[in-house]
Amino acid sequence: MKKLTPIDIIIFILFLTIGIMSFTLYSTVSENPEVHVTAGDKEWVYDLSVDTTVSFEGPIGFTTMEISNNRVHVHDSDCKNQICVLTGWIEKPGEWIACLPNNVFIVIEGHTDIATEEEADDISY
Amino acid sequence: MISHTKVRIELVALFSACALFLSTIEYMIPKPVPFMRLGLANLPIILALGIFTYREYFLLLLLKVLGQGLISGTIFSYIILFSLAGSLSSAIFMLLIFTLFKDKVSRVGISLGGALASAISQLFISRLILFKEATYVIAPLFLFSGLISSIILGIFANEFIVKSKWYSTLKESKV
Repeated sequence: MKKLTPIDIIIFILFLTIGIMSFTLYSTVSENPEVHVTAGDKEWVYDLSVDTTVSFEGPIGFTTMEISNNRVHVHDSDCKNQICVLTGWIEKPGEWIACLPNNVFIVIEGHTDIATEEEADDISY
Repeated sequence: MISHTKVRIELVALFSACALFLSTIEYMIPKPVPFMRLGLANLPIILALGIFTYREYFLLLLLKVLGQGLISGTIFSYIILFSLAGSLSSAIFMLLIFTLFKDKVSRVGISLGGALASAISQLFISRLILFKEATYVIAPLFLFSGLISSIILGIFANEFIVKSKWYSTLKESKV
């Protein structure tokens, strides 16, 4: 086995630090869960506890988001593959729904202990 | 007698073929986000350091990006931008680390540096064109998968360089 050099270790520590720093970004968001929606160049913020239905216009049509009972889902979208609709309801901070064809991105932001392995896996799917 | 240029071109072709093979393997492994990569195809690039000239090195890189695009069917989509940015930045950064430190850095360090450069540039592009401000949601996933896979690749490359007789003959024949 070839030995690791001090420079290997330095690069490793640098990488690890940046990785851990990326986690801390989660905790810098506000107390109450908010729904952040990015469509095109604009961004909207909604309160997760207030029920509402909003439509966002993207390059191929409208994507309709519904907030109800502290949960969010995409009710309806003009895109072909409907992945955003099939994602279903999201409720925890850090969870997101993306409609790539229509350029709409919905994410719940709020205070949470998200930095556990299990949560990270939840986010990925 | 076979000309020297031909031998070198065949060597680049062999390394590129290896990169394409590894891309195919990687493509078969399921991943949560389509543009996330384990970076298996970077192994030939890590090994090419020290035996390839700059021209050969970047030729290999170009072939790798095009080949990956062909295999994954993303060659004419925006995903090729991620692939290109990641590969280019990691290759340049690895070359930089290698030329700066030579024998003071092992392939683990080079591999880690490459993965870091690749992850950062891809996150940057993601922020620019795809997810905007929300990029931080995928950042930890991106960085940690790169960290782990690049260490494993680096250890493999270290072992390969020590054990392979074929590789050591390449090293001696470098012009």
